Amino acid sequence: MDLIKKTNIDFVTKRNTYFTVSFALIVAGLLAVVFTWSDTNLGIDFTGGTQITVKFQNASVGTDEVRSALGSMGYGGAELKSFGNAGEYLIRVGATGNATEVSKEIVENLQSTFSADQVTLLGADNVEKKISGELARDSVLALVVAFIVMLLYIAFRFEFVYGLGAIVALLHDVLLAFVISVLFNMTGLLNLEISINAIAAYLTILGYSINDKVVVFDRIRENREKHKGMSLADVINLSINETLSRTIITGISVLAALLVLVFFGGDVLEGFAFTMFVGIVIGTYSSIWIASSFVIWYSDRIKHKKVGSVHPAAAKG
Amino acid sequence: MNRKNLSRWLLIISPIIAAAYLLWPTYRFYQLDQERAQVASDSLALEEWDRTYGEDYQSARQARIKLGLDLRGGMYVTLEVDVLKLIEESADQLSVDDDFTTVLEKTRKETDNTDKDVLETFLTNFRESKLSLLQYFPVTNQVDPTDEAIEEKLRKDVDDAVDQALQVINQRINKYDVSEANIQKQGTRRILLELPDVKDENEIRKLLQTTARLEFKRVTMGRPMIEAFYNIDALLRGEKPVEEVAADTTATDSTAADTTAVAKADTTAVADSTKADTTKADTTNPYAGLSDDEALRAIKRDYPFTYMIQGLFAQNAESSFNPFDFIMKSAKDFPDQGVYRFVVSEKDLPKFLTIMDRADVKRIMPVDLEILVGAKPQGQGAGQEGPAFFDIYGVAAEAELTGDVITEAFPSFDPASNQPIVIMDMNSMGAERWSQITAANVGKQIAIVLDGRIYSAPNVINKIPDGRSQITGMANADEANLLAVVLKAGALKAPVKIIEERVVGPSLGEDSIRRGITSSILSFALVILFMLIYYMMGGALADVALLMNVLLVVAALAGFGGTLTLPGIAGIILATAMAVDANILIFERIREEMAMGRPLSSAVEQGYAKAWSAILDSNVTNMLSGLVLIFLGTGPVKGFAVTLIIGVLMTLFTAVVVTRAMFEILISSGATTLNLGQKKTA
Repeated sequence: MDLIKKTNIDFVTKRNTYFTVSFALIVAGLLAVVFTWSDTNLGIDFTGGTQITVKFQNASVGTDEVRSALGSMGYGGAELKSFGNAGEYLIRVGATGNATEVSKEIVENLQSTFSADQVTLLGADNVEKKISGELARDSVLALVVAFIVMLLYIAFRFEFVYGLGAIVALLHDVLLAFVISVLFNMTGLLNLEISINAIAAYLTILGYSINDKVVVFDRIRENREKHKGMSLADVINLSINETLSRTIITGISVLAALLVLVFFGGDVLEGFAFTMFVGIVIGTYSSIWIASSFVIWYSDRIKHKKVGSVHPAAAKG
Repeated sequence: MNRKNLSRWLLIISPIIAAAYLLWPTYRFYQLDQERAQVASDSLALEEWDRTYGEDYQSARQARIKLGLDLRGGMYVTLEVDVLKLIEESADQLSVDDDFTTVLEKTRKETDNTDKDVLETFLTNFRESKLSLLQYFPVTNQVDPTDEAIEEKLRKDVDDAVDQALQVINQRINKYDVSEANIQKQGTRRILLELPDVKDENEIRKLLQTTARLEFKRVTMGRPMIEAFYNIDALLRGEKPVEEVAADTTATDSTAADTTAVAKADTTAVADSTKADTTKADTTNPYAGLSDDEALRAIKRDYPFTYMIQGLFAQNAESSFNPFDFIMKSAKDFPDQGVYRFVVSEKDLPKFLTIMDRADVKRIMPVDLEILVGAKPQGQGAGQEGPAFFDIYGVAAEAELTGDVITEAFPSFDPASNQPIVIMDMNSMGAERWSQITAANVGKQIAIVLDGRIYSAPNVINKIPDGRSQITGMANADEANLLAVVLKAGALKAPVKIIEERVVGPSLGEDSIRRGITSSILSFALVILFMLIYYMMGGALADVALLMNVLLVVAALAGFGGTLTLPGIAGIILATAMAVDANILIFERIREEMAMGRPLSSAVEQGYAKAWSAILDSNVTNMLSGLVLIFLGTGPVKGFAVTLIIGVLMTLFTAVVVTRAMFEILISSGATTLNLGQKKTA
């Protein structure tokens, strides 16, 4: 089979349009996230608190009943979501400084209100603020250092500008994936809160996306040797076209695999797979339209500066 | 087959064999586990099964791939030493005033929701308040009367508190018999616990947060212990316990034996063999005609408690110990005078402790006797071979002294013999009692009991008048350190609090495994199918390599003793995606080369050569970020990074080396064209 024939599409000339669109999307998305923000987007891994998931054997136990039970034990302010199958609920209480006690109290109370064999504890997470702050800081630190290491390696193997292009594209991917996940989380269809596990999903997006960029850069490196007279923009456009088939085929096969996980992966995998799916679609887009175009744009800027500072005669020769 | 092809085949097949070898225990474990679950309801059948397959089961269990708590269910807890509470408790209670409390409160506010070092913050605040530590903390003869010395001591106390809590928790968890519990110290202030298959998380919470109690108890080894053992046997056989008889020792001997004999006669189920053992003198061995296996079963049935105990007896302190057992004897067969020692093997210890913990067993224990077990195993190291065992002690139920009189304990060396020792100091009230106790027990043993386990049972050599005791007999400095930490538990209650706790119910674990596995297999199948359709023959080769890739990643994980978690699966997904990608890169290149009219062999060569730099660079980039995450990431992120790195290494091998070997085998066996799914070129 041969889905993608030899192509000759112009991906780079309108680069400013792509930049603008992407930039506008990110800014608008971030604004939307900021304005609609609630702490429910962050898992208790990062906020601290208590999160309990319970299953009622009698699937017809409704949200109202659970809420009134919580209210009568003094946790009326607790966040309550149904998730997964009918009769499964997620209860969340903010950090109190004594999360274990809160968790114990809620489970015992529910079991006495609905009788013990009615209520099964699926899971409970109790995280004190002390440690959630640490988790958040460590995760961000790990991401930042990973970014820097990638930048350095690509700068070393290619040129600095490529490292920069890769990082800009990666930031673009992670930010857009983040925005979409957070906004989608509010629909309540999937549990997409930012937890430690979600961090692993973002890391996977980064890993996939950097792989995608390196493949294009590698072709650029090769073509610059092969077609010495060609302008940088032309070499880059040629390289994107030559790798297009691979970019799309790989993307399709990975996305198909993830789609299966989104639909059949169960409560634990589905959110994870969804974030990765979104991230890889965006990553594929940025591999074609953003990363290399950034390299052209940035090289142009440097060239203009150089032309300005170098003696005209030297520039001519 | 020519020589070159042979090495190519080896390259493909030997990793598969290695992977199969590493994964065999996992397969074996799940097979045995299912068998075991079938017999689990019948305790006799289970014992029988354990005897036949137990070792096999345990070794397979050891080498299998472990699943993380997120996949199998269980409890994960992070404990931290409550430094403020520790400071509060170690301050001299009489001199604590408002100034001191203000500093404590200020520190609490500043450190509550941050990860600032509590002790250092406290000390800084203290210095600012222009107060002197000397005013609030007791000075022992071990500490110079300076603020700096007290600061040092506080730091040491905090460090010791973690070790002490670790000791106590280890013992308690062992007793609770949580299989494959993982308990480790993290940094200097924290303890991490991973407890799979927890049934009651409240029980664990209680167990972790109850403070331990240090006591000194008189050791009384002798025949009363044997009587207690036989009584427990009787109770476990379902016979009426011998009420209140053990209190009066002289009277008990005969009565105890008599009553048990009567009780035994009543119980028809066990009548046959047990009748024989009570009238041992005039009948033959009831176990004589049985095979070893049957005899062992019968003994376990007739002596459900004492079969676990190995007795040792010596005429006096100078003569050597002779081993004895409890079969076909009764308490009156044992001499009153002499030196007894009892041990239980490490394997039987959890069962032993569970039995000792039963309320009905506690009820039939004599009021003045308590049976306790040593905290540390004997029999390992120091040139001794064989399985580890624990000493069983009989101690007076009532403590001679509780540990709160201890002011200081530290390891040291005896200058004369250069042996490690522990020095222990007591306050004046304790010292007075201690001198009376030691005077009354010269030549006898006093046990140091922490949380119901005996850490040491030194002989009292002479009366200790001034509260300063020297304990000898430690094998090495580590042992001395441990004992000092334990003794400190008297002065310091090692307050710990839970700062992170995660419970995954078994039903969620089960469900997530099942759905996770089915959906992963489905999505993997989809990729395999896609490659096959798109690249035809080439896809088939890549599929073989892909299957091998997953097999090798999982096998490597089993080989390293790694744990598979949800983020770990994400790592495998990424690595697999990159393996697919590497093959796509190569095939697209080969197609390009073939489209330019190159013959197959040179197209393949060129395809690999040109794709290699991209594959290498992208994989190295990911590996580097994986390494960063291993060093900087927290638990789950680390799990991701480990499988990613293993996956990347395997990808470089399978997607590049293995598929190439397969191509070359095809070419050398005469293939000149290959269907890579490309359009037919004219």
